[in-house]
Amino acid sequence: MSNVKQWLKERFPIDYDKFVEINERIFIKEPIPEHMKKWWYCMGATPLILFSLQALTGIFLAFYFVPSPEMAYESVRHIVEDVRFGFWIRGLHRWGANLMILSLFLHITRVFFTRAYQKPRELNWVIGVVLFGLALTFSFTGYSLTYNQLSYWAATVGTNLIKSVPLIGESLLYFLRGGQEVTANTLTRFYMLHVWFLPLFLVFFLFLHIVVLRLHGVSEPEGFPKGKYFPFYPHHFYKIIIATLFLLAVMSSLTIILPPGIGLPADPTTTPFHIKPEWYFYPTYRFLQLVPLKVGIYVTGAFLLAFTFWPFIEPLLSKKNEVRRKISYGVGALTLIITLGLTIWESLV
Amino acid sequence: MDTVKGQQWLIGIFSTLLVVILIIVAGMEMKKSHQTKPEIEIDKTTAQCISCHEKKGIAVKQIDAWKESKHAVMGIGCYECHEAKKGDFDAFTCTGSDILIGRHPTPKDCGKCHEQQVKEFANSKHAHQFWLLKNGDRAVFEFPMATRHGCEQCHQVGNIWPDGSVGECDVCHAKHSFSKAVARQPETCGECHMGPDHPQIELYNESKHGNIFKAKSKHWNMNYSTTDHQKIPIEVPVCTTCHMDGNETQPMTHNVSARLATESQAPWSFRTVWDKEHLGDWKKKRERMEEICASCHAPDFYKMYFLTADLVNLQYDEIRRQFVYWTKKLTHEGLIHRLKRDGKYYSNPVLNGWDELPEHEMYYGWHHEGRRFRMGAEMMGADYTQWHGIWEIQEDLTELIKWAAEHGDSEAKKIAKSNDPTKFITFSLYDVPGTAWGIAAKTNTTPFVYNTFPDYWDRVYKNVETAYKRGLLSDEQWELWLKRYKNKEYYLGLKYANTPQVDSVWNFYKKRNEIDFKAMKEQVIDMVLPGKNFFNNK
Amino acid sequence: MINEENQKRRSFLKNFAIIGALFVAVGLFFRDLWLYLYPPRKKKKFHKYLVAKTDSVPLGKAKEIKLGKDPVFVVHLPDGYRVFSGICTHLGCIVRWEEEKQRFFCPCHKGVYDKTGKVISGPPPRPLDQFKVEEEKNLVYIYIEQKTGGPWS
Repeated sequence: MSNVKQWLKERFPIDYDKFVEINERIFIKEPIPEHMKKWWYCMGATPLILFSLQALTGIFLAFYFVPSPEMAYESVRHIVEDVRFGFWIRGLHRWGANLMILSLFLHITRVFFTRAYQKPRELNWVIGVVLFGLALTFSFTGYSLTYNQLSYWAATVGTNLIKSVPLIGESLLYFLRGGQEVTANTLTRFYMLHVWFLPLFLVFFLFLHIVVLRLHGVSEPEGFPKGKYFPFYPHHFYKIIIATLFLLAVMSSLTIILPPGIGLPADPTTTPFHIKPEWYFYPTYRFLQLVPLKVGIYVTGAFLLAFTFWPFIEPLLSKKNEVRRKISYGVGALTLIITLGLTIWESLV
Repeated sequence: MDTVKGQQWLIGIFSTLLVVILIIVAGMEMKKSHQTKPEIEIDKTTAQCISCHEKKGIAVKQIDAWKESKHAVMGIGCYECHEAKKGDFDAFTCTGSDILIGRHPTPKDCGKCHEQQVKEFANSKHAHQFWLLKNGDRAVFEFPMATRHGCEQCHQVGNIWPDGSVGECDVCHAKHSFSKAVARQPETCGECHMGPDHPQIELYNESKHGNIFKAKSKHWNMNYSTTDHQKIPIEVPVCTTCHMDGNETQPMTHNVSARLATESQAPWSFRTVWDKEHLGDWKKKRERMEEICASCHAPDFYKMYFLTADLVNLQYDEIRRQFVYWTKKLTHEGLIHRLKRDGKYYSNPVLNGWDELPEHEMYYGWHHEGRRFRMGAEMMGADYTQWHGIWEIQEDLTELIKWAAEHGDSEAKKIAKSNDPTKFITFSLYDVPGTAWGIAAKTNTTPFVYNTFPDYWDRVYKNVETAYKRGLLSDEQWELWLKRYKNKEYYLGLKYANTPQVDSVWNFYKKRNEIDFKAMKEQVIDMVLPGKNFFNNK
Repeated sequence: MINEENQKRRSFLKNFAIIGALFVAVGLFFRDLWLYLYPPRKKKKFHKYLVAKTDSVPLGKAKEIKLGKDPVFVVHLPDGYRVFSGICTHLGCIVRWEEEKQRFFCPCHKGVYDKTGKVISGPPPRPLDQFKVEEEKNLVYIYIEQKTGGPWS
């Protein structure tokens, strides 16, 4: 054995002991504050696990999916009906997407209401917002790939909305669609975004997000004994395993009980009566129907800006921490209620 | 759940949960049906036919029908059946090509691959030219224009083609899908085997078999094969099940005459002698039919059922004897006439005759209600045996006798004028104690002949024995009849007819009847309306 | 002492069971992924296909038919009918039947097969592919693979 080690050391001249020590520090001995024993605080790990599963199932789906208008729907049907365990992989991917957005909502809420975005962690919040936007783009592009009636028309309407963005809207639309209309170009572009560019960006920003998090250490919220830590392994490691098993079980069950159907093949000549985007776009969708389009775009834009840069805006509102807390709680609660309200309203209409 | 131990337990629990769910997923995977339609390889000639037909828009849906067929999967395309040689009666060159096509593939063409089926069919009464041998209805009473879409359409099944073959295979499994499922659908046989003179589809629909079929057949796949001694795969029989399809012991046959023991369509019911050399005598044919019944029924049941149906046929013969007697007598007496022209007769007093009442009654007595009476008895169509059967036969005979009496025949006058209830039974009687489905305690206490003639059963015995001795009943049937006869008190239910429990039930319903009748009388019979009628009171 | 041993055993069994369950779960998961990737090796199903009626292929002659787009030759030899694929086994060109010479000839690289499909000369590495033949009375059938329709087979 030592001969082999020697052989390797000569060809890969790194300091093995240092290497092992660094890895140990990151993965095994990393001190985690006590509050992380509560599940509510693991809403960050959950989207990470889900994203990994999405990547895994997505890669497997890509073995059979064909991104052309003629074959897209048929290949999805093929996966669901003919391929062994195809319905399961596809179900995991579909439900995984939904659960990921859901868990991101919970994570953002948790981070906001524990005010973990405060100095010096403001940039990590911005990176988080970017990640959230990427996740939503993932969902939008992925959903359009099935090329059934709802997804085709959702892509048409959705990209049409982009046209209304001031200045860059038109060119952005042209770029996304690969032309004036939704064509084969659109499908292949969405596919490239979904399987290559978005994953690339997401991994990059995810890496940043976790590195910055680890550099600062997990922020300790008020109400927990400060200074108490426990090592990453075994406790948090086990938590991640439990979470993975649990999520797999839930997604598989959902696949069986509420199988995502394949719908009707896209018909560019017939618009179905009720087109709706996915549930996570309901708030925006409902809001934009309540006010004139230009107003809606500008208000949404303003909200997005405030949302992204809140860690910088908050301190400008007051010097006292108590007041800041009350303001943030108020703003957060209002946003939550309005978002939930709009979502429920849209789902009932 | 914060402790390491707690976490380990959670890992164990969720692992188990995941295993369970993955097993369910695997189960669902296994249950997925992977039915696929085989791809059809189209050869060059067929491709040529298809492309031209599609371009010209001629019968294009037949191409789809062909694609559904087993022919298509096995490489039998257009030319394999429509091939023609110069001089064939139906040969012509397809426009725009140099291919010689036969317009009417005949059994000779089908027989190139399906030799056995064609041979069996040609040997059956489906191919028999009887309707041309006795063509009076069509040839004399009607005229050709009327029969083109009438008689000739159904009897196409036994057409003699110029090339010498007989039959039309796609009458039952229609072209071009030649589906077995369609052939097995009772309505297919019912296209011809229906109507006032042989209502087989109506009989089937009235029967228990037909009723269950209608209730349950939605989910049955009727495309099965019975050529390999398989079990009958459906719950109740369709026409082909009893008359053609095979089961564990019987081979499948296209010869519908192989299992029929009685000619119940003929003017007189007699035992079949059709192709005795190859099919055996009527007993062998009955045996084949019973083998099919035996798939679902007990011998006790079907043997008694057939004995009763056979006796109905024989009884019919006795009534027929009366009709024949009268029409012959009336012809002899010059009261009815045969159609004649240039010294040639165009009607037969015992077969047809379309213009004089006795002839009419005689004809309906055998061709319509006479057949319904017999076939209803054979195929569980009780209403056709009764109201559309014997009731109308008796009426026909009574009318005939009345007409004869009115026109001077003294014997008929005697019968017509008689007030004796026996006037309706001027012929010999058959009988058998009871039915195939149990003991009826009161049913046999009411018949007039039972209660009036103490030697009734002696007379019946002698008649049945004579029929047996003549070979019209088998040894087994005679044994069965004797068993019933010797225990007639039991089988007629008379043993129980006057027991307290039967009588009490009987009286219960008798009382109910009195109440009904009383109500009818009180409500409407004894009513006198004040408004005077208009006839007597201007 | 006994209690300690019992505790140790119980703890060991507990760990064993938990790790076992975990293994089975992970194993099932990856087994399903594996099966997903590998299309099942379906056993080839064959069915009969009519290629000729005996009166259309006299002795010593061959008839060419098309199985979809592939050429197939039905040859009537003294010992019965043989059915060959018309695709040359060298590089896939389509062979010709030369009746006078009673042989198959491939124009691409001059491969020559005799009437039994055996290679006489030229580059073909093996005889012409043959189909299983069944003669029924006056009909010549071959057995061909049951292909399912659609873009996935």
